[in-house]
Amino acid sequence: MTNLDQFTSVFKSADKPRFHYRRARIGRVLVVTDLGADDSAVLSRSLKAFLSVLEPDAPEWTTLCGGDFDSVNGLLEKIEAHKPDLIVTYRHLHSDAWNWPHGLGEYLDVITQVTTTPVVVIPHPAEENALPHSLKSTKQVMAITDHLVGDDSLVNHALRFVQTDGSCWLAHVEDGDQFDRYVDAIAKIPSINTEMAHETILEQLLKEPRDYISSCRGTLAAESLPVAIEEVVTLGHRLTEYCSLVEEHEIDLLVFYTKDEDQLAMQGLAYPLAVELRSIPILML
Amino acid sequence: MHEVPDYITMIFTGLLAAMVLCLALEEKIHAKKSVIVGIFAVVTLALATGLHLVKREAVEILGHSVSLPIYIPGVDWEVIAIILGSSIFVDVTSKSGLFSWIAIKLTKVSGGDPLRLLIAYGVMTVVFSAVLNNVTAMIIVGTLSAVSLGKLGRLNKLLGFLLVEGLLTNIGGLLTLISSVPNIIVGNAAGITFVEFFLTSSPYVVVATAVTIWMGAKVFDIRRLDGIEAQRDAALLVSGFDENDGIESNNFFWFGSIMTVLFICAMASASVMPVIKDLGMGYVALSFAAIMLTRYKATADRFYQAVDWDLLAFFGCLFIVINMMEHALVLELIGDGLKPIIGLGAQAGTVALMAASAVASSVTDNIPLAAMLAKILGGMQIASDSPIWWAVIFGANLGGNITPIGSASTLVAVTIIHKNNLPMSFAGFVKVAVPFAAVQLVMAAGYVLLILG
Repeated sequence: MTNLDQFTSVFKSADKPRFHYRRARIGRVLVVTDLGADDSAVLSRSLKAFLSVLEPDAPEWTTLCGGDFDSVNGLLEKIEAHKPDLIVTYRHLHSDAWNWPHGLGEYLDVITQVTTTPVVVIPHPAEENALPHSLKSTKQVMAITDHLVGDDSLVNHALRFVQTDGSCWLAHVEDGDQFDRYVDAIAKIPSINTEMAHETILEQLLKEPRDYISSCRGTLAAESLPVAIEEVVTLGHRLTEYCSLVEEHEIDLLVFYTKDEDQLAMQGLAYPLAVELRSIPILML
Repeated sequence: MHEVPDYITMIFTGLLAAMVLCLALEEKIHAKKSVIVGIFAVVTLALATGLHLVKREAVEILGHSVSLPIYIPGVDWEVIAIILGSSIFVDVTSKSGLFSWIAIKLTKVSGGDPLRLLIAYGVMTVVFSAVLNNVTAMIIVGTLSAVSLGKLGRLNKLLGFLLVEGLLTNIGGLLTLISSVPNIIVGNAAGITFVEFFLTSSPYVVVATAVTIWMGAKVFDIRRLDGIEAQRDAALLVSGFDENDGIESNNFFWFGSIMTVLFICAMASASVMPVIKDLGMGYVALSFAAIMLTRYKATADRFYQAVDWDLLAFFGCLFIVINMMEHALVLELIGDGLKPIIGLGAQAGTVALMAASAVASSVTDNIPLAAMLAKILGGMQIASDSPIWWAVIFGANLGGNITPIGSASTLVAVTIIHKNNLPMSFAGFVKVAVPFAAVQLVMAAGYVLLILG
């Protein structure tokens, strides 16, 4: 005989979040540097070229030089005054700690958590380890998460930065260590078939983001957006996987969330990613 | 019929009353039906044998003299075969994704509008109850209602949906000869064929379904959505359901669909098809189950484990108890008691029998009642086209709508209600359900008297 749980599962599984495309308008861009006026102007020009995908919105570009602020409060006031739709900056403003890849610097730390504005973090201007393709174009943009399903905002932000005929990579990596820990616990429960649980739970965990990505493809095709959707859905060590994906696919811009409703600090994996992936630009939401 | 001292008949009558009481209090005494009836089967068999009411005799089967234990011939194996075969067939076919595909497709067609959803789910409940069984129908439609109304943000209407669906399962259970166990038992005893049954009951089922849905919409204030925007938002929400998600293989999906149609056709024509008419509907059900199991031939045991053995053991033991009651002349005694009711006349007698069946079915299982009345009415040589049979069929099925314990499907409806943290007491159910059941029974009485009488 059939049972309640069986059909509840069937119908819950059939209920799939669909992607809804929404083009974000970026009308104001604020570049924040700690350089002198001339160097800041040079940097701003190269950033305009890098983010040429924003051109159709004809954004108003403003640059804050090193002399425009000398404290976190001062910078926040400037940001509040400009009300930008996008901030572009780099790690360790007014500090030479960028030599040590162990943090973001006090300015970036606070900006990403206090403001709701997306922040593009570029490699430090003095950084010599930037990948050769870095800051050239945004042909390959990758959105990364461990919870892709239903995250329209993340995908829409990533899509906004992909150049015409470029690729938007949607990467969902399930935490392998956590999964192994659950399977180990299941293995100690006699009433649950470990092999079947391992197989079916993993299958379901990976099926959901795949279905969502398929919905993204369908929506983009319906919108005739000239962007290819590439899919990476896997189980593994997330930091290692993301780093290797960036190198393997020569990603131009990496997009991920940094905020967590439940805490004041940067969320889970965002901090180590922001600290370690210093060789390419990242968009922190 | 042999002579039996009155005191023995009274002892067995007492045992029958005790069994019915235990079945009514099944939830209170925390015992499965099969165990309750099994104990009474053991006791009545021992008593009947000890009191020389029955004895092991050699019987002639296909030219061979076979000595069978006395509890074997008393069981209606045709009924057991139909239930076993049908439940395995439905269980395996549900794995094809066919039923969930139909359910989700209908949800999307409704556009998420609450009233259209109620109509779609109501009709689906009736059809699934008729084709599958009322418990499976309630599980499919009830769980989908909870998921879809949750998605639409209308869980405040879930109670109304589940109650209407629960009440409709017992109307759908009237549609065909195999839609409910009382139909199978009484229909077989009366000699009503599948097609005769369908043609007789379907007009009532159509009207009763429409009236129940209309009443449900009024009582639970389920209306159409106001405004194009609200309709568009609801349609967008239900469009997220993927009807193909549960389909593991397209080939199996089509195979399941074709086999379901063939199953209904085979059941409908079993009484007239050469060879098959000798083998019976039980053979048809078991054959279709066997064919479906070929898809899962290496893991078929999973489906055997899922069979409701409690239900099958309950039937087997129940037939034995009734057989012993027959030998102890208890059925003759009850039949004598029924004679004045039937003797009230063609009209009053029929209505009184229907009302008595409905009341009895509302507080205890309708299967023992159907089995007992089938045996008693069969013994009275009542013609198969008599409205008396239909009074029992309508009463036994619709009586299940009066209380939550009146039928297995209303019990499932209440389980889903509680799973979704909705308040529903026994008295609360009765208060809501009685007006529906009363209207359905009045309509049934009118139909039996005016159309079938």
